[in-house]
Amino acid sequence: MIEKNITLAWRNLWRNRRRTLITAASVFFAVLFAVVMRSLQLGSYDTMFRNAIESYSGYIQIQQEDYWENKTVNNTFPYVSSLRKKIISDENVVETVPRFESFALASSGPQTKGVMVMGINPEKERYLSKVPDKLVKYRLTPEAVKQIKAELDIPEKVRELLDLVENTSYPSADRLQLDLDISDDEAEELMPVIRKYARFDNGNIRMGEPGAWVGDGLSRYLELDIGDSIVLIGQGYHASTAAGKYEIKGIVKMPLPDIDNKIVYLPLDICQNLYNAGSNLTSVALHVDDNDEKAIANTVNRMKQMIPDRLRVLDWKEMNEVLVSQIEADNKSGMIMIGILYLVIAFGVFGTVLMMTAERRREFGVLVAIGMQKRKLASIITSEMLFMGLLGILAGCVVAIPIILYGMEHPIVFKGEFARIFEDYGFEPIMTFQGIDTYFLWQVVIVAIMVIIALGHPLNRIFSLKVVNALRA
Amino acid sequence: MKILEIKDVHKIYNSSEVQVHAINGVTLDFEKGEFAAIVGPSGSGKTTLMNMIGGLDSPTRGTITVDHTNLADLKSSRLIDFRMWNIGFVFQSYNLIPVLTAKENVEFIMNLQKWDKKDRDHRTFELLKAVGLKERAHSRPAKLSGGQQQRVAVARALASKPKFVLADEPTASLDTKSSENLLDIMEELNREEGITFIFSTHDQRVVKKARRVITLEDGKVISDERKKKNGSSS
Amino acid sequence: MIWKTAWKNVWRNKVRSLVVMISVTIGIFGGVFAVAIMNGAIEQRVDSALNNEISHIHINDPGFRDNYDIQLTIPGLEQIRGQLEETAQVEAVSPRIIISGMANTASRSAGVQILGIEPDLEKKVLNLHEKTIPGTGDFFETESRHNLAYIGEDLAKELNIIRYIIDEETLGKLRESDIPEQTLNKLSPYVGKRFHSEDEFEKEMKESLSRREQNEYGRLIREQAWSFSERSRMTLVFLDKDQMQTGAVFRIAGIYDIKNNMFEMSRVFVRKELLSRLTGLAENQVHQLVVRLNNMDQAKEVSSMLSENFPDLEVLSWKKIQPDLAYTTDLVQKFYSVFMIIILAALAFGIVNTMLMVVLERTKELGMLTAIGMNKKRVFSMIMLESVFLSLVGGVVGMIVSQVLILFTSTHGIRFSQFEEGFEAMGYSSHIYPDIDATFFITVTVLIIITGILSSIYPAVKALKLDPADALRTE
Repeated sequence: MIEKNITLAWRNLWRNRRRTLITAASVFFAVLFAVVMRSLQLGSYDTMFRNAIESYSGYIQIQQEDYWENKTVNNTFPYVSSLRKKIISDENVVETVPRFESFALASSGPQTKGVMVMGINPEKERYLSKVPDKLVKYRLTPEAVKQIKAELDIPEKVRELLDLVENTSYPSADRLQLDLDISDDEAEELMPVIRKYARFDNGNIRMGEPGAWVGDGLSRYLELDIGDSIVLIGQGYHASTAAGKYEIKGIVKMPLPDIDNKIVYLPLDICQNLYNAGSNLTSVALHVDDNDEKAIANTVNRMKQMIPDRLRVLDWKEMNEVLVSQIEADNKSGMIMIGILYLVIAFGVFGTVLMMTAERRREFGVLVAIGMQKRKLASIITSEMLFMGLLGILAGCVVAIPIILYGMEHPIVFKGEFARIFEDYGFEPIMTFQGIDTYFLWQVVIVAIMVIIALGHPLNRIFSLKVVNALRA
Repeated sequence: MKILEIKDVHKIYNSSEVQVHAINGVTLDFEKGEFAAIVGPSGSGKTTLMNMIGGLDSPTRGTITVDHTNLADLKSSRLIDFRMWNIGFVFQSYNLIPVLTAKENVEFIMNLQKWDKKDRDHRTFELLKAVGLKERAHSRPAKLSGGQQQRVAVARALASKPKFVLADEPTASLDTKSSENLLDIMEELNREEGITFIFSTHDQRVVKKARRVITLEDGKVISDERKKKNGSSS
Repeated sequence: MIWKTAWKNVWRNKVRSLVVMISVTIGIFGGVFAVAIMNGAIEQRVDSALNNEISHIHINDPGFRDNYDIQLTIPGLEQIRGQLEETAQVEAVSPRIIISGMANTASRSAGVQILGIEPDLEKKVLNLHEKTIPGTGDFFETESRHNLAYIGEDLAKELNIIRYIIDEETLGKLRESDIPEQTLNKLSPYVGKRFHSEDEFEKEMKESLSRREQNEYGRLIREQAWSFSERSRMTLVFLDKDQMQTGAVFRIAGIYDIKNNMFEMSRVFVRKELLSRLTGLAENQVHQLVVRLNNMDQAKEVSSMLSENFPDLEVLSWKKIQPDLAYTTDLVQKFYSVFMIIILAALAFGIVNTMLMVVLERTKELGMLTAIGMNKKRVFSMIMLESVFLSLVGGVVGMIVSQVLILFTSTHGIRFSQFEEGFEAMGYSSHIYPDIDATFFITVTVLIIITGILSSIYPAVKALKLDPADALRTE
């Protein structure tokens, strides 16, 4: 019985093939646009958060209770091993990453700048901000560029890009390849030479040994290179003066320009020494196993139970409030734009339904006259509309998916002036795509709602149908 | 056996200023096996009366009883069901569902009545054979001529084994040959299977074939003639 | 004649036409209003930047902006200033010394750029002095024997110069503003307590007050608890011209608020002669000349001209100083044009469908018209006009509605308070006054007409394919 209904509904759709197709096409258009745009938006937000979390805050931190609002050296806490043992015994905590952060004035002779000093345990940071991975491996110095151009026969566009990104440092060859827009086949030929000339020798810092890692942007500003010394002056524990001079062992490239231009990493104990802070820490960041929202929230709760009173647990949202706010604003504005689009399409669908109902008035009359229940007629019309919506959704998804998959492999990277603007605002100049996720389902829901509302009209007509009048139509 | 009783039926329309007495006191009985035509000029109330007989409209006064059931006692969905089981319809045009084939149109009612496949198929082909369209069973209405469409409509109307078939101007859109054809088939069905047909028409050919002619004028029955078997009127 | 017929035809099926028109109205309204909001926000930003932050043109030594080297002062200062005075388009010039340093208070410190200025001249190029928060002082008007610094609100908060204090007086004022006793009781434990930062204050408020109380009274409480002590002191530390560390203690001349977190946090204004003295620079040694023009649109040509006149100096117009300003305006316009086009494309589906129906149901009529002699071109135009009318009526209504709403909101603006933090971090106010350029409406109208025309092509072609005899025969 049901298949009969469905057959009827399906065949009815194709009575007016053009109209059905155009209406389904409008739904397709909206779904395609919405899905691709959401993928881009959500993907980019993810990258932005990831950069902030991984460059700096981590997902969860434990701090002295007053530290976040008042980031002074005096608001630090002693990190006893009993606390460490308790924390690491939690099921979701893989490693604890201790840090000592403060502010200092850095000078290199003629230049001075306020910098962020982070005392870290380089081994443990591998889990979190992965600073060791961000050591610069390649730098396109003017000389390197000259040498590359001399030896290789480079395609025009890569040549232009080389000029554009001159002086940029790269922590990995992949990013270098991406920025120069070199395809994977070209890479085989070009990359080895580029890597040869752009190679940059970096060094490590170790616990117990004085030495510093400096951000790429900062190193340029202070005109310091590996082997040079950097002088740090700041305010130490209980108003003592903190002063020290350190040899630069390595240069790191952080994705967030804000950090890249200001960061100095010292070994944790050296840093604690500098600020006369004994074995105190400003924060312990946690490397977690499962980082989805629920898991983080649960872990935070468990931490809250576990730690002594004078300490406090913060999650990444609290630590990145400004970013959360900016992203929310963009998110909402994106949703509104898509909303307007869908609203426009909804009216189009409604128009089609209106026309179709008017045309078939007589037919409805005949059907009810010969004995079809209105309910049944209503369900057939409903099926027709749902099919039409489904057609549009499927078409939209089928076209969107390859686009998104391609985009995931090839994110949109910005260069030149435009990139500078992103960086001025503190963002990495890249837009990434989000994979297939719940936002796809949302489109289905919206289209379903659209169809259901549009159905109101024909269903109303059917149930209030006076056969006699309809037959006269 | 009376299958349809119309007792003192009135239909009054109240439009803004004027009261229209479309049917003004009609009393008629119909027996099983009749082949009757209701005639009259336009405005005589033919269509109104037909609609009421078919349960598509309700009388302002009076009763219409089909097989001992007063149509007024049935409310909306019960009424629709009743029509499905008891009354067959053939309209002047646009009888068929355009997206279904002839066969599917005929079995449509049987589907609603939940016949099982074997019985359904069997009866469908029988009916299509009876109206002479067995070979066009899988064609859609668009591919059939006007006359063929009407024949399918008759087959469809009969599919549910109704108490009687109401045909409102069934030949109005047809040319002479097709009309003849259609009428012959209906007459044969009436003769062989005893199916009751009630027409409304102003086509003289139909009137000639009918065995009972009821004439309406201004909402009243002004003559009700039954013809004898030999063709002359009583 | 065709115009009249087309117009009348639009109204033959009122309901259907209205559905299409309403969809166009909604689409256009949505698009235009969204652009107005974005546009307003950016205009405010550019305005604020030009009037409060950078003015129109900067002149400095070519290498100065790389490292802000104290030694790179502008050579031949008098001559340059003389020439600038002669230049007609120049309204005012303000000389500055720029030094990087640190600002310290007892509990906090921050890296800042210290700007040594001459208040009378600076006031002519920037309106920063008008943004002084009432009660915090002024832009170096009041005489004082102390060293004075003029700083931004965000910096003052960061350095704890602005504090949040709840005392009896605060409670009294809040009571006067009709805050319920119940809420005030929750606040009384904080009397006499010192909050170390705005964040701490916020945190305590979040913990003590219910959600509803926060939403309704939060802002009032914050405003009343906000306090500034005139006797606050700040130390500025920096290097002099011989690379020796030096500095001095400063009192606060006044605090300004321009809703730009980045700017406020990084700048401290002091008197130029004081800064010269402390750094050992001579009186005629300055790092930068800030120039204000009569008309901001002349910035590019004037800066080119000045560039030629002063070949040894770097002359930058505001677009070069802060490229993101020019770029963003440009970019957003492009983006929203694309958005409008997408909306119009979406609308096109509905219009095509409608016009197809129109053509199909008027087969007989069109057949008749062709038979009696209406040529193909006229038939085509008639259909095209009908389509354009459909789109245009909806579009015009949409534009009118959006213009009304823009006018309405332009007096009071729209507060996007939820996103305040995010906006101000980028230098944008969260209180936006939508505004739109009249030329945008023209662009939109043209786009609507084009949409109407393009949508009608397919249906019109179908109409032309109808064979008159065939059409007339249809029953």
